[in-house]
Amino acid sequence: MLSLTFKNLWARKWRSLMTAIAVIFGIALVAGTYVLTDTTNGAFNDIFVGANENTDVAITSKQQVAQEDGSNPAFSASVLKKVRTVDGVRLASGDIFSQGAILDADGDSTGGGFAPQFIASSSPEELESVEYVKGRKARGADESALDEAAAERSGLDLGDTILLVGTGKARPFTLVGLTRLGGASFGGTSIAQVTLPVAQQLTGEQGRFDQITIAADDGVSPEELRDRIRDVVPADLLVETGAENADRQASEIRDNLSFLSIALLAFAAISLFVGSFVIFNVFSITVAQRTREFGMLRTLGAGRSQILRTVLVEGLLIGLFASFVGILVGIGLAQGLSALLSAVGAELPSKTLVIATRTIVVSLVIGVGVTLVASLLPALRATRVPPIAALSETLVAKSNSRVWLRGLISGLLAVIGLALIASVLISGTDGGTGAARIGGGAIAVVIAISIFSPQLVRPMASVIGAPLQRLGLTGKLARENSQRNPSRTAVTSAALMIGLALVTFVTIFASGLNSSVTDVIDSNLKGEIILQGPGGFNPIPPEAAELASSIPGVEAASGIRFSNVKVTGAGGRSLSSVQPESVNQVIELEWQEGSAEDLTRLSGQEAVVSAGLADAAGLSVGDSLEVLSKTGKTVELTTTGVLASGNLEFLGDIIVSQQEMERDFGVDVDFFALVRTNPGLEVGEVQQRIDDAFQKPFPTVDVLNQQELKDNQRQQINTLLAMIYVLLALAVVVSLVGIVVTLILSIYERTRELGMLRSIGMSRRQVRRMIRYEAVITAVLGAIAGLILGVIFAFLIGIPLEGDGFALSYPVPVLATIVVITAFAGVLAAIYPARKASKLDVLEAVSYE
Amino acid sequence: MESTLQETPQPGASGATIITASGLTKIYGEGEAEVRALDGVDVSFNKGVYTSIMGPSGSGKSTLMHILAGLDTPTTGSVEVEGTEITGLDDGDLTRLRRDKLGFVFQFFNLLPVLSAEENIVLPLSIAGRKPEQDWVDELISRVGLQDRRGHRPSELSGGQQQRVAVARALVTRPTVLFADEPTGNLDSKASHDVLELLRGSVDDYGQTVIMVTHEPDSAAIGDRLIALRDGKLVHDAPPVSADAVIELLKTLA
Repeated sequence: MLSLTFKNLWARKWRSLMTAIAVIFGIALVAGTYVLTDTTNGAFNDIFVGANENTDVAITSKQQVAQEDGSNPAFSASVLKKVRTVDGVRLASGDIFSQGAILDADGDSTGGGFAPQFIASSSPEELESVEYVKGRKARGADESALDEAAAERSGLDLGDTILLVGTGKARPFTLVGLTRLGGASFGGTSIAQVTLPVAQQLTGEQGRFDQITIAADDGVSPEELRDRIRDVVPADLLVETGAENADRQASEIRDNLSFLSIALLAFAAISLFVGSFVIFNVFSITVAQRTREFGMLRTLGAGRSQILRTVLVEGLLIGLFASFVGILVGIGLAQGLSALLSAVGAELPSKTLVIATRTIVVSLVIGVGVTLVASLLPALRATRVPPIAALSETLVAKSNSRVWLRGLISGLLAVIGLALIASVLISGTDGGTGAARIGGGAIAVVIAISIFSPQLVRPMASVIGAPLQRLGLTGKLARENSQRNPSRTAVTSAALMIGLALVTFVTIFASGLNSSVTDVIDSNLKGEIILQGPGGFNPIPPEAAELASSIPGVEAASGIRFSNVKVTGAGGRSLSSVQPESVNQVIELEWQEGSAEDLTRLSGQEAVVSAGLADAAGLSVGDSLEVLSKTGKTVELTTTGVLASGNLEFLGDIIVSQQEMERDFGVDVDFFALVRTNPGLEVGEVQQRIDDAFQKPFPTVDVLNQQELKDNQRQQINTLLAMIYVLLALAVVVSLVGIVVTLILSIYERTRELGMLRSIGMSRRQVRRMIRYEAVITAVLGAIAGLILGVIFAFLIGIPLEGDGFALSYPVPVLATIVVITAFAGVLAAIYPARKASKLDVLEAVSYE
Repeated sequence: MESTLQETPQPGASGATIITASGLTKIYGEGEAEVRALDGVDVSFNKGVYTSIMGPSGSGKSTLMHILAGLDTPTTGSVEVEGTEITGLDDGDLTRLRRDKLGFVFQFFNLLPVLSAEENIVLPLSIAGRKPEQDWVDELISRVGLQDRRGHRPSELSGGQQQRVAVARALVTRPTVLFADEPTGNLDSKASHDVLELLRGSVDDYGQTVIMVTHEPDSAAIGDRLIALRDGKLVHDAPPVSADAVIELLKTLA
């Protein structure tokens, strides 16, 4: 019987192949994601282990509150003296390792796109984390070493000049050495190494270290030394062995990158979900077409379990095949993704691809699992074929499912799904569980719709097909054909619906985000010019705002800083600081309690809070709140004002004065600065003046006007949107494959009928047209259902965000374009089936049994 | 009542009674639309007898065979195969019954296109998980005249050859009864003749029991016993004399 299954699969190989494609895409994405992240994590691991090769013990500060840039606060240099007194310490070195910018003499970045750049101090040779491949380490105050990858990228060599920017003005250095870190490429990341005092000056960490590295005396184990040092240094410092330190850093990077794998796996799941619809349909049709064969097998004495097994084993084999191919494609995909990321500037460190056993096992289990689950229902249907079916003349068994049962099940599922989504929207569960519930709810709703959709196909296809019917007989037949097996059309369309619902959803959301950002800039920013770091997410030196305010034509320039904090009773929040004397000249906010005056009056431990935080923590003017800073300090702040909701909280949840930020929260760089020009002056002219003045001291600062800022933001949103589109395209392509297979199978079923139509004079062209129209009806059915579903989801999920100033907008022309493109995709999907149908030999088709 | 039936002398050859059907009715639909496909049929079949069942369309001949073969259930009445009541059997027992005791030959051959002639022939054994006795398989293949065609797929065989494969497949398990449903309905006269000869031979040489539904007088005449139905009732039960006599009989039924 097993060999029979093999032979059946082989006899229907194109069909099996098409079925496999439904799974291959998703599995490729699963395997590719794992290979990519394993490889990247492995490379980072190598880097950190290599960098800590000679370090027995490392001291860093504990990260109290996770920061956007992942950095740890620096700590007092006095710790080094204490460490040196510990018995067993042979060598100890205090180091700086902070983010900065590395530019060539012209002020152009040496970095690889978005990858961070670091300014570091050189250590004694033994504790040095880098290896010098050329030249020597920096000795003088104007000397620097640079990693060879960055030097190569910018065509720099020893003796050339580079500019380093820390928290102050850019300073020129002569390149005296080229380095390599940990033997692997460090992604696009680059490191410049200068002497310790220079590094401290550049990064504004005079009298402080980011890290202390220690070598032990012979005979003293790292663990022993670690414990001894722990006893003498302040408890808020983290003392680890070199190996522990490398492990932790590698795992932190792993955690930071995990969002990438979660996002990619989510898209893989979507594609597999769509694929399961296709598999379900192919198996359902195949089982229906084999009704007589199953009946015959039953008359020969095959039991129900044997029939079940033959169908499931087919599913198993297809699943295995698809998983294997998917894994191979995934490995290629990982390389492709890595190349793609480095092409857009997000280079990841590379080494030979890591293909873990877990990757293979998980891919196989998912691939086979999805195929088996999707083929289970058709397989059960096959077992219900009675032996007497062997004698019946009709090929296709009628589906006997009861409408009321369908309605009941789908109604129940829809209620559960909507309840799941509602529970998140109302109670606001955040993070993983919230996303899982929304996802689960959405899946339940989609399944509910697909269960009930056969009932909807007739009326919907009638409407969509109505214009086609006017095109003549072929249109009329296509319209009728799309309705004659409603559940088949329904499942095919539902697969497409899923992809298009998501496309619609993200399109609406991105459009809402775009217009909300524009709104905020228009209504909240009074400053016409914005000073921001490269890419908009690197800090800028505070002197930049100072310099800007001294330029003629500038009325005020005000810097704004950010830090992540934890608020007792309200969890992780973002805190910003403003310059009280000038803030009201550059921004305009709406108030729930208090007024703009309160910002001007901000001093000491006072804060203005957002409506969201005020709600969550029950705050109003006069109340105090307890905040944990990134340095581990607990600060008590008094509320002096509450902002109205609807400001899209671009200032975070808590606003304090710049002085307070520096003193208690340890942030001494601006995140961005806003500039107000003198009325009556051309903004462009002032912008040009600032730009010119910045050229030399602040080459990394971007000087943008409001329109440029909007474009900038829009571009970021659109880049993300484009990436999501590409990933969703996988699911859409899978559903189009579904249309192709379903059409081919239907044609096979209708061979006789097509032969009859040809024999009474239908031309090949008309046959092609008829098939094409049918595909278009199915595609448009899916597109419209997806559109409706997407709009509903966007609407639902948009409700709780309205309070944050987020407003959905419905880009009607874009959505209409999507429907048109989908209809066209239907035409493409019909090419092969239509050609196949038109090439049927009339005589053979008529006598086909 | 059963015993009286078993004692009823049967036309045709002798042998132990292996199928006994009594009081069979089959009613489709309700009220106005009620159709009595079978209306009180009592009949039994002895071992080694070749029985033809005839009757005009709608006479109930197919229904009768379906019920005898356990493919359909009667509205009332019972069917015993070798002393086992089959009308109340569950799916598992029916499956075992078909596997061990029944063989089928269909009008449309119903061969698996992906299997060779020989593989199709041993298919019932594969399903049952039994090893074929190669001597028996070889004998059947030579008997159906397909020695040089055993590796061919059904698509490479003529209709007559395909039906001969189907007959060999039905015989390979040495079933208690072989049911044939219009086995020549889709064949030309030469091929029909070959297939009927095969069935005849299986009765004569192996003592096979055959129950065949047909509407062709020539086919019916080859049997040992001819049963005719009309409007769900058994109206004729005697050995056939000749094809012409069968035609005459059919005329009286129509």
